[in-house]
Amino acid sequence: MHIGYIPVMLMFVFILPPSQAQESDSLKAITLKEVVVQSSYKKISNLNSSQPVDVADKTFLSEHFTGKLTQALEHIPGFNSMEIGSGFSKPMIRGMGFNRISVTENGIKQEGQQWGADHGLEIDAFGVERVSIRKGPASLLYGSDAIGGAVEITQAPPPLENQFFGEVALLGKSVNETLGGSLMLGLKKNTWYTKLRFSEQYFGDYHIPADTVVYLTQHLPIEGERLKNTAGFERDLSWYSDYRNRRYYTNFAVSNAYQKVGFFAGAHGIPDASQLTDDGDSHNIELPYSTVNHLKITSRQQYAWDKIIGYCDMGFQNNHREEWSRFHTHYGTQLPPENDADKELEFSLKTFSFSAKIKTYGNGHWEHTVGYDLQYQQNSIAGYSFLLPEYGRFTSGFLWLSVYHLHPKVSVSGGIRYDYGRLNISAYRDAYLENYLREQGYDNGLIASYKWRSYPVNRNFGDISGSFGIVWKLDNLHLIKFNAGRSFRLPCANELASNGVHHGTFRHEQGDTSLSSEHGWQFDAFYTYEREKLYFAFTPFGSWFGNYVYLKPTGEWSALPHAGQIYRYTEAEAVFAGAEVECGFDFLHSFSFHFAGEYVYNHNLSEHISFPFSPPASMRNTLTWKHKRIHIWEELQSIAPQKRISKNEEATPGATLWNMGVAMNILLCKTELEITLSMQNMLNTKYYNHLSFYRKMEIPEAGHNAQILIKIPFKNKLK
Amino acid sequence: MKAKINFYFVCLTVMSFVIFSSCSKYDDGDTTKPVINLIEPAEGEILKIGDDSGVHFDLELSDNVMLKSYKVDIHPNFDGHAHSTMLKSSLETVDFIFNKSWDIYGNKNADIHHHEIKIVANSTPGNYHLILYCTDAAGNESHLARNIVLSTEIAENHEH
Repeated sequence: MHIGYIPVMLMFVFILPPSQAQESDSLKAITLKEVVVQSSYKKISNLNSSQPVDVADKTFLSEHFTGKLTQALEHIPGFNSMEIGSGFSKPMIRGMGFNRISVTENGIKQEGQQWGADHGLEIDAFGVERVSIRKGPASLLYGSDAIGGAVEITQAPPPLENQFFGEVALLGKSVNETLGGSLMLGLKKNTWYTKLRFSEQYFGDYHIPADTVVYLTQHLPIEGERLKNTAGFERDLSWYSDYRNRRYYTNFAVSNAYQKVGFFAGAHGIPDASQLTDDGDSHNIELPYSTVNHLKITSRQQYAWDKIIGYCDMGFQNNHREEWSRFHTHYGTQLPPENDADKELEFSLKTFSFSAKIKTYGNGHWEHTVGYDLQYQQNSIAGYSFLLPEYGRFTSGFLWLSVYHLHPKVSVSGGIRYDYGRLNISAYRDAYLENYLREQGYDNGLIASYKWRSYPVNRNFGDISGSFGIVWKLDNLHLIKFNAGRSFRLPCANELASNGVHHGTFRHEQGDTSLSSEHGWQFDAFYTYEREKLYFAFTPFGSWFGNYVYLKPTGEWSALPHAGQIYRYTEAEAVFAGAEVECGFDFLHSFSFHFAGEYVYNHNLSEHISFPFSPPASMRNTLTWKHKRIHIWEELQSIAPQKRISKNEEATPGATLWNMGVAMNILLCKTELEITLSMQNMLNTKYYNHLSFYRKMEIPEAGHNAQILIKIPFKNKLK
Repeated sequence: MKAKINFYFVCLTVMSFVIFSSCSKYDDGDTTKPVINLIEPAEGEILKIGDDSGVHFDLELSDNVMLKSYKVDIHPNFDGHAHSTMLKSSLETVDFIFNKSWDIYGNKNADIHHHEIKIVANSTPGNYHLILYCTDAAGNESHLARNIVLSTEIAENHEH
């Protein structure tokens, strides 16, 4: 039997029991959070959703803090961080990343240039208090892009008593000489709650355990084992307020995140050893580099009637990204621009989001949610080079979710959603290229097809997502969940209309204007066993896509200078499957052991190979000793080799890494200092991350790192 | 209790399906890149401008399944890496740009020897990049970058 049908058949088996949709737990979190202790928020989240939900709370986030949010979340099985040197990292869930993951903060989807391999997540890691990871399709909740999962960043509940409070956090890291700090000041007074946070991080070129890297068969020296020009800095400011009075609740948040990070010069264009001589300063940011500024304003209005609650979220975001690289061109007629001569690319993406939901509760067996989402985006471009066209994108969706409490221990739910999307992409004609091709003696037919770097696209999409699931709490120890559904994703502007050499990937990438919306059938199951000193979780999943979009090498030579063959966005039949396993137990009074393992398999059924960027199987074994205010852990991280690769991707050997850490709380003048010392890659092992942007340049991951995080919380009760 | 056991059974079935489907050896697609051995021109080689006999080009290609094509791209590298027009050379000479592909479809190995790259007499002398790309029938691509120098003064003596 053809392998592709197995997961599909499995799905049908599990559709038979009536079933359950993923369901937003935001309402329940609001109504419950004052009585629920932090540690069981995960349990509540899992009872409320038929999909597996993992929660990273404040303790988890401090313990695994690195200054980058996605790196901390990597400790959750099924979640991976795609690295771009030490400056950027982006989330991946169960082998899906880029535009297949939605990151939301305060209910609004974060919109940056997610499609790009060298673009990170612009969120202040210091300010994140709680994250829920929804593994598997969440497009029923968030629309198009959440086909692979969602990362929901939410606020921790405000303190109960009126108080003035705050926190000073300091971070130091040896691997790239990071110095970071954050100051938060807050006030809780009766119905008001407000907090302001300012964070900065400076980091230098990072250490790798290698003195040469090999790129395009050229050996490049890495002087002082530091990757030149990977330094950067980050400055974030945010303000959050909420107001709650009886049945009315509102919140308002403004944040601005700015990052400036250098790119390893050898990774841009043809490698040249002369670019890589040590300039004696490991903290300077030279060309090429990128800057991103992400401004976000969000607000929620909520009102609760007797059996109905209604809320709406609104948001505005402006993601402004610039890539700077010394002016260079292959076309004799192109002169450097008068202003900002070295600005290669600029993208300015403005997003307006609106979402409204009405939910019933306390009505016996049934709970219903009706919702409407709307989003409008406008992308404008500048710079002497071209990669992605200007576009406007409008999406809107209507959803209906219902939960039926069959029994106090069993609930089934289902949901359906229809989304409409319109994408309007502007044409872009490159006169310099046209002239160049004419000079090179290409025929008119070829020139005519190349001079349009982007074709005008005006397309409408409409698609249905649906989901069915069941949550069965067998008793206090066992919890079983099943979920099956259909999800979809609209093609992005780059998949439809990009056309040019991406200086980061060094390939001629070409969109296909005829791509249809990507859709797939997904199934997942969840089982946990939890008692006082023992915990076990198993979460298998499988999915099938009729038209999974990926960048396929075509074998056609590109006429663009410095380009090999053309890579075109192409649809393929795809299968994804895998599982996460987690278990933990306490022993000998103060010891505990935790195991987490993950595996993802994917297969391109059209080509009989794997898709690019498949996360390798990995596991973490952690031994913890906890006594009063001190907490020591040692972790053995094992990464399997990844031999299942796509074309023009390198197989990556496995690695074993030792990490350890100590967290302690010290009482000092009535203030409880939290100090976390940790060491990553203690043996300075040279290893590669298959998901790293720098992998194909044979640049190993960061070497030994020692890190200190000090948090000084303070509060003063108000009378 | 029976229901419980049934559910365990279902879980196990799902698990085994996932694992079995995962382990099946189905990756028979070709992901092996062709191998390039560019003998001439060598790294740093000085090539004569206006040499009518052409550049002595000696290349060995091989692939595990089937080769498809190779392409030679030569372009100026006057100011280190950046290809800037700000440092454009004098008007009498023209930057030498060469871009051509050859079809070698159907072979597993290819020994290539030709003099088709002719550096015209009015070419600007200086540092150039030569990039060689090679694809196999499946779309696997290898490339190789060489630094070469174009000069009017130094004559090359090649034994052919």
